Amino acid sequence: MSTERSKRKPFPWVQAAVAAVVVGASIVLGAQIFERQLHPESAGVAPAPRVPGAEFPTDTFAGKDVEQPINYSHKLHAGDLGINCLYCHTYARRSKVAGIPPTAKCMGCHTVVGTDKPEIEKLTQMWQSNQSPAWNKVNDVPDFVHFSHERHLQKFLFDNPEMDIKNAPDVCAMCHGDMNQVGVAKKMKPLTMGFCVRCHESNQGPSDCTRCHK
Amino acid sequence: MSSLLGNIFKGWSDYTKGNEEGGHHDYEHMYAMVIDLDMCTGCNACSTACYAENNLATVGEEYFGARQAMHWMRIERYFDEPNVGEAEADTQSRGASFLPMMCQHCNAAPCEPVCPVAATYHTPDGLNAQIYNRCIGSRYCANNCPFRVRYFNFYDHQETAWPAPMEQQLNPDISVRSKGVMEKCTFCIQRTRAARNTAKNEGRAIRDGEIQTACQQTCPTSAILFGDLLDETSAVHQAWKRHQVQLGKYAQNKTNPELRGYRIFEELNVDTKVLYLERVREV
Repeated sequence: MSTERSKRKPFPWVQAAVAAVVVGASIVLGAQIFERQLHPESAGVAPAPRVPGAEFPTDTFAGKDVEQPINYSHKLHAGDLGINCLYCHTYARRSKVAGIPPTAKCMGCHTVVGTDKPEIEKLTQMWQSNQSPAWNKVNDVPDFVHFSHERHLQKFLFDNPEMDIKNAPDVCAMCHGDMNQVGVAKKMKPLTMGFCVRCHESNQGPSDCTRCHK
Repeated sequence: MSSLLGNIFKGWSDYTKGNEEGGHHDYEHMYAMVIDLDMCTGCNACSTACYAENNLATVGEEYFGARQAMHWMRIERYFDEPNVGEAEADTQSRGASFLPMMCQHCNAAPCEPVCPVAATYHTPDGLNAQIYNRCIGSRYCANNCPFRVRYFNFYDHQETAWPAPMEQQLNPDISVRSKGVMEKCTFCIQRTRAARNTAKNEGRAIRDGEIQTACQQTCPTSAILFGDLLDETSAVHQAWKRHQVQLGKYAQNKTNPELRGYRIFEELNVDTKVLYLERVREV
């Protein structure tokens, strides 16, 4: 028995050690390369984040033009004039939906501002005949998706110490794109489940199905 | 890289933990219910409230007869055996008793492992959830449910159940299911979510009694209690403790056999989360 064992070749410790080092190094290097591909900005100089403490979704979507009863320009109101998103879409901070402002809110300014323009005349006429402009929906998710504007604004805007209420457009832009760059509203982000889940993963959002589907 | 390796290690430890102990173990809450059958009068108000709260489609007499009604909360009727030798043993003298039956949210739910697309699963709230948009309608879950509390949309009842202005009264917090989808009691998950949202905004934990299910809210005799079993101060936890019923057991060791609490089909070891309190009878 003992002679048999002594005849057997000794275990190749040196080769095993070399192999272990090679395997270990390849795992570590591979993981680093993989990580860099996942977060390319961490490799070079990272630009200042638009929403501090959060990863900004980069996906884009070429939405079609949506015809609206009045050619309302987000670029003019939110971009050039700098009106905060939450001034008109005031429900966003306290409910599931962002909402469309009542005509009274439009008339708050437009009883005195730009009354000679044809679109404003159209609006004034609607206001005087007790009609609301029948806006068409631009960003829509299926009925089985229960997205809450409130929770997202709380997380990224109000509970974020580095953010101020005037940074609201940056937070809105995560899912709506830069609305202050377009005229009549267009869908600019895919708003698919993949889009949501990618953002939830990178920003530590919940991954429980019933958070959105119920 | 640290995050990647961290994920691997965390995934591995979760996996081994799940293998050793079985099931989901990171529960944040454990919503459970207590139904006192002695208080239940069988008035069906809970069932009606459920219809209103959860957008349940009415199916009409014909489909109801074919057992295709989708009443997440139903009242089961039971009758005593007629007395032997008594002349007329009509239903009046046979002592009807009632049992509200809804999804028991089993912790070892038989419906969950049979779903081919994982549309039903256990949430960190300890609820047995049904994801309608993921469901493909294989109906395995309903066939594996010992309580018969899963309901299948065989037809597009939602198109006819609410004629023209009535669709305005639908609850916006919960989806309207369409044909080919399984549905069941969710313990009013939309209310849980709403309470969670409020609590989070106010920076506090959810209080006991803050979440009321629709059936509980409407019960005229307050026979239904709902709350978090992990919260030791909650009324539900107290009731479970008082009746010496524990989760995770298929036979309870009761020191006092007079205690009324029991769980339906406990011997199947499905670990249901609805505690029924037996009806007290005059003999």
